[in-house]
Amino acid sequence: MLLSPLLAWVVPEYLLYIGNVLMMDAMLALGLDVLLGWSGQFAFAHIAFFGIGIYGTALLDMRAGVPFLLGMPLSALLAAAIGFVIALAAIRLRDVYLALATFAFALSMQWLIRTWDSLTGGPDGLRIAAPALFGIVVGTDRRAFVPMAMLLASMLAAMLHLTRSVLGRSLAAIRDSEHAAAASGIDVRRSKIAAFTISAFCAGVAGGSYTLFGSFIHPDDLGIWQLVQVLTMIVVGGSGSIGGVLLGVGLIGVLPELLRLAPAQWLVWQELAYGLILMLTVMFLPLGLRSVLRRNLRTTVPPRTRRGTPTMEHTAP
Amino acid sequence: MTALFSIRDLGMRFGGLLALDRFAMDVAPGSIHALIGPNGAGKSTVFNCVSRFCTPFAGDIVFDGRSLLAEPPHRIVRLGIARTFQNVELLDRMTVLENVLVGLTSHVPRYIDFLPGARRIAAERHAVRQAEETLDALGLLDWRHATAGTLDFGRQKVLDLARALASRPRLLLLDEPAAGLRNREIHQLDRLLVDLARQRGITIILVEHVMQLVMSVADRVTVLNFGHRITEGPPEAVRGHPAVVEAYLGRDAHA
Repeated sequence: MLLSPLLAWVVPEYLLYIGNVLMMDAMLALGLDVLLGWSGQFAFAHIAFFGIGIYGTALLDMRAGVPFLLGMPLSALLAAAIGFVIALAAIRLRDVYLALATFAFALSMQWLIRTWDSLTGGPDGLRIAAPALFGIVVGTDRRAFVPMAMLLASMLAAMLHLTRSVLGRSLAAIRDSEHAAAASGIDVRRSKIAAFTISAFCAGVAGGSYTLFGSFIHPDDLGIWQLVQVLTMIVVGGSGSIGGVLLGVGLIGVLPELLRLAPAQWLVWQELAYGLILMLTVMFLPLGLRSVLRRNLRTTVPPRTRRGTPTMEHTAP
Repeated sequence: MTALFSIRDLGMRFGGLLALDRFAMDVAPGSIHALIGPNGAGKSTVFNCVSRFCTPFAGDIVFDGRSLLAEPPHRIVRLGIARTFQNVELLDRMTVLENVLVGLTSHVPRYIDFLPGARRIAAERHAVRQAEETLDALGLLDWRHATAGTLDFGRQKVLDLARALASRPRLLLLDEPAAGLRNREIHQLDRLLVDLARQRGITIILVEHVMQLVMSVADRVTVLNFGHRITEGPPEAVRGHPAVVEAYLGRDAHA
């Protein structure tokens, strides 16, 4: 009874829209987590690379006639190249200095997009023409859904490969102790540069994917608010884990849609709600919800008796 | 016997503090060489110069005829020098097994991530087997899937050592391995160090405050205070040296 007005309102096309947004958020968040969760680098230029992906793909298509299948990878490569250059400077910084410097870069990119109006449309925003895939114009949520799912699936496959790779393990080691990592033979500089570059590439892909279903982009959509949203997803779900990030994207990504059901005068509280969720999670669940779900699985395993000649054997305290 | 490892007139400054002042030591292959001195004497700074976390303004560090000062930090273990850390630098969000796999990094070719699946998996299996052998030898095999940060302190120290040993070093730098261990654990450490040096031929430099351990295992002892060497010799000779008594117990005890 109560659900019926809801069901009438939430038409399938709308659900597909939410699905597309969530898949884009997932790509964005997975990319940022390569830096935050895997390498422990608090770098916040991510939203700029996302913007490069959106504007790059859209403008290449609209101004130069470069099709999506070429324009999107080119834009992501451009984001990766800029990420690489940023990394050369960023590896000298750490903690709050790194956060500030990379965030300043994100803001300057936002400023550039806003100011360069002959190319980007500036403060008027940019109406994105629907791209075509194999001669079929996409543009609607229904048509974008399958290509979006394929993009996300490829990125998930790449991320799974990364978590099992030597590079992935090196990044996790750097996150936990740069000294132990370096003393074990890990090239800390090279690994961090790789992480920055991969992360920027993912943000570029996420940005490019937006042009498949989004019809409009404005420089205001590339600011601190969007960054906080992605950060909240990662932190709430659990950084450093693909499952955790996806969990966070699912929970936090549907929040704006749920808030849409709330009375209009509540909407001003939305940003506060994100800030509050982020704060509370950092204070009480620094490893995210995932850590609660997995707590029982990864604690100390009780020792079995085994034969052999252990040189330093310990009994449980 | 020629030295495997030499530190020559090393000078290291932190701002206005002269942390090392023309410090020198020669380490014979296969020996256990203890480096002792009061807190702040510069012992860990010596290790940090060897690890290339610090760059000295003067002097040289030579391992196997090769200067280390031209090498970046991650190359040191490839040359055969591994270390542990005073405050246990564990990879605490990773599992025990992963910690030791990280220790094997220098034996894994860098292009491994780009190999086809089957060869990569075979290489990973091989690495896991080697890591498990190291864990087994140190009695940590049953904890291999535990998160490193959840181990008790004694096991964390053993894991730090396991990570270092996994690289199969020729020279092992141990920074206060006995600190915080119980008596029984110190006895086990004693046996382990002797075993590593005598059976496996690993040369060990041991920074340690637990004198009972130093006197029992060290072939030679170098005493460091205020950044320079006070004395060096076999343990029994160093123990009674007036400068050592003074540095450890103060002037009154000596008088």
